[in-house]
Amino acid sequence: MHDALLPLSVFFASIFTSNILLTNYLGTCSFLSVSKEMKTSLGLGVAVIFVMATTTPLNWLVYEYLLLPFGLEYLRFIVFIIVIAAFVQLTEMTIERYSEPLYQSLGIFLPLITVNCAILGVCLFMVIREYSFFTSFVFGLGSGIGWFVAIIAMAGIRVKLKNAKVVPALEGPGITLIIAGFMAMAFMGFSGMIAVS
Amino acid sequence: MAKNKVRKTFLEPLGKNNPVFVQILGICSTLAVTNKLQNTMVMTLGVMFTTALSSWTISLLRNHIPSRIRMMVETMVIATFVIIVDIVLKAFYPEMWKQLGPYVGLIITNCIVMGRVEAFALQNKPTLSLIDGLASGLGYAYVLLAIAFVRELLGTGSLWGYRILGSWWTNWSIMIMPPGGFFVLAILIWIIRETIMKETNHA
Amino acid sequence: MKVQSAFYRDRIYPLLFMFLTTFFCILLTAGIHLTTLDRANANELSFARKAVLDAAGIAYVNTTAGIEEAYLKSIEEADGYFTTSSPDGKRFIIPLEGPGLWGTISLMVGFEEDLQTFAGVAIVSQNETPGLGARIEEPWFTTQFEGKQAPFTLVEEGTATAENEVDAITGATRTSEYFRNLANQASDAAKSIVGGE
Repeated sequence: MHDALLPLSVFFASIFTSNILLTNYLGTCSFLSVSKEMKTSLGLGVAVIFVMATTTPLNWLVYEYLLLPFGLEYLRFIVFIIVIAAFVQLTEMTIERYSEPLYQSLGIFLPLITVNCAILGVCLFMVIREYSFFTSFVFGLGSGIGWFVAIIAMAGIRVKLKNAKVVPALEGPGITLIIAGFMAMAFMGFSGMIAVS
Repeated sequence: MAKNKVRKTFLEPLGKNNPVFVQILGICSTLAVTNKLQNTMVMTLGVMFTTALSSWTISLLRNHIPSRIRMMVETMVIATFVIIVDIVLKAFYPEMWKQLGPYVGLIITNCIVMGRVEAFALQNKPTLSLIDGLASGLGYAYVLLAIAFVRELLGTGSLWGYRILGSWWTNWSIMIMPPGGFFVLAILIWIIRETIMKETNHA
Repeated sequence: MKVQSAFYRDRIYPLLFMFLTTFFCILLTAGIHLTTLDRANANELSFARKAVLDAAGIAYVNTTAGIEEAYLKSIEEADGYFTTSSPDGKRFIIPLEGPGLWGTISLMVGFEEDLQTFAGVAIVSQNETPGLGARIEEPWFTTQFEGKQAPFTLVEEGTATAENEVDAITGATRTSEYFRNLANQASDAAKSIVGGE
């Protein structure tokens, strides 16, 4: 691969400058509804990091060794979503079996994740951008962390917002979207961080 | 009586039960392409096609689906229609296909599609489900087209790729950048809730 | 008897149903995929040819047939590059690939006979952010390079005046920089591809 596509720059870009939530709007649905509370945001955020960092390389393997050799790329949507769903289900079952506290804090968020478009989005981006196995892993991990950072920041702001007076029609999703817009602007400010040579 | 029900099924998602304004559902996959009217049009047509036909298919199968694997079957059917959209775009509108990139595939995870299938198609007859799916898609489409209209016009001074505003117009670049999408949607929700929603609440 | 039917209802029937649905879904998509395969491949070829024509600065009718006609009439394929004869001399078109912000940008660069002056630039494929970096495909951006020589300097969108200045894309500084780097390398690449000079 080209040196400018080094995993490190992909990692930082996916957390900051091209945050999957704030620049691609992926995962907005659960972001809007869950960011009301800090505790749930924390749980969902960690679950997203975990699932993204594991399913992206998993799907890379499936795509490279199962779909491409048989010319079945056009089935990738179905296959990816099934891999994600199956993986999430398995993880949930494993956690439930072996660690009750972990299940209480993390496991209950797992089913929500299958329908989170950010997970599928990361897998589709990885295919289109022709990442290597390692870069895919880094991209998945970075995007997960980026999503986590965004939802935690939003939850922090919304806690304060509870005491603020907001125009009734803007309450809830409206004001959250406006804050998300400002956050997106702030994150764009990171774009000077990675130098291109 | 039956005619009334059809009318109601069709009109509700367009007005006071609009999936975007009331439930803020399904914006993820399409908001990213709303900086161009043309792209938005193609995407929303894809969503309409998928919602309508998957509602219809699931409604046909509704008495035969074992409840334990319900979600799997639904996902399968939805994904099939999305793949069809993807293949057709690739074959007949390759330039559009390249521009939309991964977003076509993301229709699968659009909450509206799954939402209508779960909430409506499982309990209703095929034709009615088809109408409901179509109307939900339509209600979704006009909101996103409105967003795209504002963003493209203010952001580039053009509509549908043609220059509308003269050279005196300074492009609001923020509009075609990611924050613009959040702002326009928020303002649109504000306006709608302030005007239309209030009236229906009183009535 | 009753046990058996419960077994059928709980185990066999769901499996059978899932299998049948999968079968029909895949049959349907495979059918559509195969019937449109030729068209999709023709589109790919047409895309590449269109880029060559754009880079060479040759006018054509923007349909598959129009592109094919113009291409076959005026482009000659050589080993690793393309040539065309224009009234002012021979033009060379070389394919070039390099890193973008998100993935590989691949393009066709047309040169005048001196292999220094740009005749045109056209994008074959790119994965930049839609609406931002992806605007490198738009004609206003690519035509800027015509008649100019490297090295190029990026200036704010809409302000390029001097001979080697090009407008950067607002909101896509990174992509613009990657593209400039590519353009700056193009002349050397052309010299080594066209041969030994």
